[in-house]
Amino acid sequence: MEVLKEKVEEEEAAEREEAAERAERMEKMRPAEVQKEETILTQEMLRNLEKKLSEIKIPTPAEPLVVTEDTVDISNLPLSYKTNTPKEEHLLQVADNFSRQYSHLCPDRVPLFLHPLNECEVPKFVSTTIRPTLMPYPDLYNWDGCANFVSDFLTRVPLPDPLKPPSHLYSSTTVLKQQKGNCFDFSTLLCSMLLGAGYDAYCVNGYGSQALCNMDLTREVCPLTVKPKETVKKKEKVQPKKYTIKPPRDLTSRFEQEQEIKKQEEAKAREEKRRWEEEERLLEAEKAKPDPLHGLRVHCWVLVLSGKREVPEGFFIDPFTGRSYSTQDDNFLGIESLWNHRNYWINMQDCWNCCKDLVFDLGDPVKWEYMLLGTDKPQLSLTEEEDEGLNDDDDLQDQGKETEDKSFDMPSSWVEQIEISPEAFETRCPNGKKVLQYRRARLEKWAPYLNSNGLVCRLTTYEDLECTKILEIKEWYQNREDMLELKHINNCTGLRTDYFRPGHPQALRMHAYKSMQPENDRVMEFYETARVDGLIKREETPRTMTEYYQGRPDFLSYRHINFGPRVKKFTLTNTESNPRPMVKITEQFSRNPEKPADEDVAERVFLITEERIQLRYHCRDDYITASKREFLQRSEVDSKGNKIIMTSDMCISFEVEPMEHTKKLLYQYETMMHLKNEEKLSKHQAWESELEVLEILKLREEEEEAHTLNISIYDTKRNEKSKEYREAMERVMHEEHLRQVEAPLDYLAPFLAQLPPGEKLTRIQAVRLKDECLSDFKQRLIDKANLIQARFEKENQELQKKQQWYQENQVTLTPEDEDLYLSYCSQAMFRIRILEQRLNRHKELAPLKYLALEEKLYKDPRLAEFLKALA
Amino acid sequence: MNRIYDSVEPRVMDDDLLKLAVGEQGPQEEAGQLAKQEGILFKDVLSLQLDFQNILRIDNLWQFENLQKLQLDNNIIEKIEGLENLTQLVWLDLSFNNIKVIEGLDTLVNLEDLSLFNNRISKIDSLDALVKLQVLSLGNNQIDNLANIIYLRQFKHLRTLSLSGNPITQADDYKMFVYSHLPDLVYLDFRRIDDHMKALAELKYQYTVGELKHQEHLRQTRLEEERAQQGRLEEHKMAFVENLNGSFLFDSMYAEDVEGSKLSYLPIVGELLEVYKDKFVIICLNIFEYGLKQYDKRKLELDTFNECVREAIQENQEQGKLRITRFEEKHLLNLSAIREESELLNIEKKIVECSEDITELFNVLMTLEMQLVEQLEETINVFERNITDMVGLFIENVQSLMAQCRDLENHHHEKLLEIAVSTLEKIVKGELDEELPDDVRALFVDKDTIVNAVGASHDIHLLKIDNREDELVTRINSWCTHLIDKIHKDEVMRNRRRVKEINQYIDHMQSELDNLECGDLD
Repeated sequence: MEVLKEKVEEEEAAEREEAAERAERMEKMRPAEVQKEETILTQEMLRNLEKKLSEIKIPTPAEPLVVTEDTVDISNLPLSYKTNTPKEEHLLQVADNFSRQYSHLCPDRVPLFLHPLNECEVPKFVSTTIRPTLMPYPDLYNWDGCANFVSDFLTRVPLPDPLKPPSHLYSSTTVLKQQKGNCFDFSTLLCSMLLGAGYDAYCVNGYGSQALCNMDLTREVCPLTVKPKETVKKKEKVQPKKYTIKPPRDLTSRFEQEQEIKKQEEAKAREEKRRWEEEERLLEAEKAKPDPLHGLRVHCWVLVLSGKREVPEGFFIDPFTGRSYSTQDDNFLGIESLWNHRNYWINMQDCWNCCKDLVFDLGDPVKWEYMLLGTDKPQLSLTEEEDEGLNDDDDLQDQGKETEDKSFDMPSSWVEQIEISPEAFETRCPNGKKVLQYRRARLEKWAPYLNSNGLVCRLTTYEDLECTKILEIKEWYQNREDMLELKHINNCTGLRTDYFRPGHPQALRMHAYKSMQPENDRVMEFYETARVDGLIKREETPRTMTEYYQGRPDFLSYRHINFGPRVKKFTLTNTESNPRPMVKITEQFSRNPEKPADEDVAERVFLITEERIQLRYHCRDDYITASKREFLQRSEVDSKGNKIIMTSDMCISFEVEPMEHTKKLLYQYETMMHLKNEEKLSKHQAWESELEVLEILKLREEEEEAHTLNISIYDTKRNEKSKEYREAMERVMHEEHLRQVEAPLDYLAPFLAQLPPGEKLTRIQAVRLKDECLSDFKQRLIDKANLIQARFEKENQELQKKQQWYQENQVTLTPEDEDLYLSYCSQAMFRIRILEQRLNRHKELAPLKYLALEEKLYKDPRLAEFLKALA
Repeated sequence: MNRIYDSVEPRVMDDDLLKLAVGEQGPQEEAGQLAKQEGILFKDVLSLQLDFQNILRIDNLWQFENLQKLQLDNNIIEKIEGLENLTQLVWLDLSFNNIKVIEGLDTLVNLEDLSLFNNRISKIDSLDALVKLQVLSLGNNQIDNLANIIYLRQFKHLRTLSLSGNPITQADDYKMFVYSHLPDLVYLDFRRIDDHMKALAELKYQYTVGELKHQEHLRQTRLEEERAQQGRLEEHKMAFVENLNGSFLFDSMYAEDVEGSKLSYLPIVGELLEVYKDKFVIICLNIFEYGLKQYDKRKLELDTFNECVREAIQENQEQGKLRITRFEEKHLLNLSAIREESELLNIEKKIVECSEDITELFNVLMTLEMQLVEQLEETINVFERNITDMVGLFIENVQSLMAQCRDLENHHHEKLLEIAVSTLEKIVKGELDEELPDDVRALFVDKDTIVNAVGASHDIHLLKIDNREDELVTRINSWCTHLIDKIHKDEVMRNRRRVKEINQYIDHMQSELDNLECGDLD
């Protein structure tokens, strides 16, 4: 590597010197250079020599490895696949020349990947293999969509030799057909799509890490498991206002506080250190064995440069995974060359520090050696332009030499247009299934509608690296009729959580449970806007049920029900017919702005077994205590045997501001009666809630059993009904069309109608029929000609009259009248001309039409047998 | 029907009658027993029915403050009276009486349903206060003029109208007239109004109704303009610079100044006066603008102060509430524990604990309150200082501007005096060219007279300026004192209220505990 570096530096120096004579230099050998090289080969001569020896012979392409060749059916491929056009031949010569010079100048570098063979064993230049195509799917308009599609759609085939670029590079159409390929196939396809979508994309031939080349994601964290970073909301420090009160004086000892803080910090640091060490240890364990072939594994990926499609910064895309990497990433170890559909560049920068120091300024000929001069340089840095300005004279001199090169540009691609059928696009993965192994996670993908239960994606997270202990499973569903979107199963706690999209018949949003048995721990969330009662959430434990509401007209926001143990009944064990007795119902209400706070209940508690009702009212705006009231429901009988209706000790109340009317027994009595009613209602509602839970559980079970899938009415392929309907419509249309063709105008019909019906035609009749028909037609043709003639003459006459009139009155006419006259004349002339044309045309066509009819009549099945003799 | 019973003695609406009615119409059954036990206060009654009672005069209803529905139909009432206190009334039935004039309804602003069926009314009138009126029943009366309908246009919520049995209904296009003039009406004479007919009527009367609408619109805009004007003036008054945005002060200076206006007939004085006025008005405008600016500043200051105080109180309240909730949770647990405890010793111990808790809560709450009081006092003092400074500065600046006015006046006075004296000389010498009105000429008899006259005019002017200045200064000072007083008073009131609240709460808690004790000891 050091040698390379030195060499590059040297070359840079040389190039600076000889910038003006580059073209010349490219054509000629440079003996001076060679000499120089030899002088440098002092220190590491041996190694260098070895390398040279091993690599200098490579220009002969490696023998074709028989991998997939036999599976490619080349017979149907178009001609451009099988032969080279003259221009392509020329290009190949240029490339060979370039390659020769390159291997001569940089003998220690691997030969260029320039023109591998295609599926028809024809050498094709790599740039012409790229076929920029914009896909008709909106999902494929952005780079991430394209990258994910390519990574999903194709199956990875390892390179025949992981240390060398492949000998074959198939066209993207073949690759798409086969749905498999190596990294070069992946990159070519992705690059074609990105270029088509308007990105400044390049295929990169270089070296990648082992994980990258083998698509080994086992050390990567699955992107789906990464929790989105919680954006820490910075609380805006409120500027203290002018009259903000001063805080009360702090009387605690500051020293003590400091000591406390110090102690805490120490503890924290210890904890931190311990954790860090732990992590370190874990990381150590997870670290892969060092790769013996590190830095030698050939890989091909895609580079997207900034400038187009609002890409702010260049980045890499690994075509296997479809993930984007920064150009500084550790996985990308070096770049040999890169190309797009226009040109080919060789990296002249040193890659000792992976790709971190590389500058992707392709316009800089010192850093990137280009192959074709004529094509536009993608980027010209400012400094370079200045340089050019300085070297203007030299450029002028060079121009003469370079014109020839400039005139040559990249031939258009030999590859057919890349097409992806909608079915293939939807199926995506080969056979609609794909499995990815991540670090402690496994991701499975399916095409929609492939699984009968609508499963499209499953992520299994494991506790250990060997993936034996399942931690949790997440399953994503699509197109389910019950709107189930995500199923989350936590293996440790056994908690299962189902998430639903809007549209569930019970407006479910989320359902977390451990078992489907009723009266167990569960949480249900609802789309409250879809529910009449505004229920948001219902939590259940074996003994309680809590409900949260929102936006109710009665301002109820919370209801908590405590259940007692079930009274045993031997006859009925059904939960529905034997509800658990309720012990306590707590209801909370939000503030009703229309009522005064003292009359607006904030919380009411029905202690059913104790026959007590507690009320707590809302707090007044400028108060800190709230009114309370407690009712005891006792039905006692006084000494005389009369039922006591209401006594003052049945209602204990605390009022913030004592009022007169609330002290009255009547008021208290009425309130209590009202509350008794409310209690009944609440009990009823609680009971209904229980029933609803049962119903939902039943419904969920049914849905899980049935798992029917929804089919969009726009989905013409899957929607059976619409398909049938459409087919029926098409059939009808077709038949209609046929009928129309079958029933042309029957010329004979009016004449046949004159004959007595039901009798067979005689020969004389037939001849007469024919003659009548023909003469009638003749007459019609003549009539038509006459009609046109008559109109023609009429127009002519009128025009003449007008002309006469004009000549007579010419002197007295006003300019307007004259204008009118002139416009009339031109119109009349136009009409006359048209009529004349029509007449001529009619004259021409009339005999032909007559003959055609005669012909038709001879062939008419009704007359044919009689007229055959005549003809 | 009333005539038949004419011979019967009219009933008087006395307490007994009312009590009977209230009792009969009050709660029934169990609740009724309770009601009887306690008696019902008239002010708790919401609805009262007094029909077929042969009542002649409405009386004794002043206690029914919260009455919403009152039925007085089928009596022999001749005059609407004694309903002034029933401001909550929504429903009033006075049908089948002998009322001749609509009156005495001016306080019933909540009235929605009014029935005056079968009376002797001949004119719809005196209903202006009933802005919420929805249903009006005036059938079987003696209304005979269509102009009465136009009067009803002002009731925007009126939906149902009954006029059947009035002479007015005999008019040819009575219905069309009503439809077109009351477009929001839905029911007329117990029938729903046909949309088609309504459209026809609108077409028929579009010009007259359009004219009416136009007039109403004009009146409305004029009213709005006046109100806006009033609002602006009010705002200027708040800034204490009302009527300084023009020549008002200057004009007022010359309004009572007889000599001054006479002297303005002198040569050159007219021009002089013009210039003087311009300068004067400019200074006035300066004062005006300065005043408004200062007003905004003061307002901002006050708003900030109020906001801060509110925030402080709010925070304090939150803390207090938090303490109370925490205490209540604990207290409830304690109480239930005591109830379940059977050992007497333990009970006593727990009760002592509880009462300690209560005392502690009291202490905490009171400390919080005292703390707040201290904090607020400090803030209030700062504010007081600032606002006083502001007012002082304002007064100072206004005074200096006023001094400029006075200078101008002095200057003018000198000039005027000069001119007057020279004119006098001219007159004496008989060199005056122009003709002067007689009363002006009368001033120029001798030097003393003219000097006196000019001096008097000057004095009046100065007096006016002084008065205006004094008024401004006094008013702003009194405003300032009032404001500060009010803030202090409010704070004291707040403090009292809070202390009272805390005490009350603690007392309640304690007494609850005591009750429990007694109950357990029993």
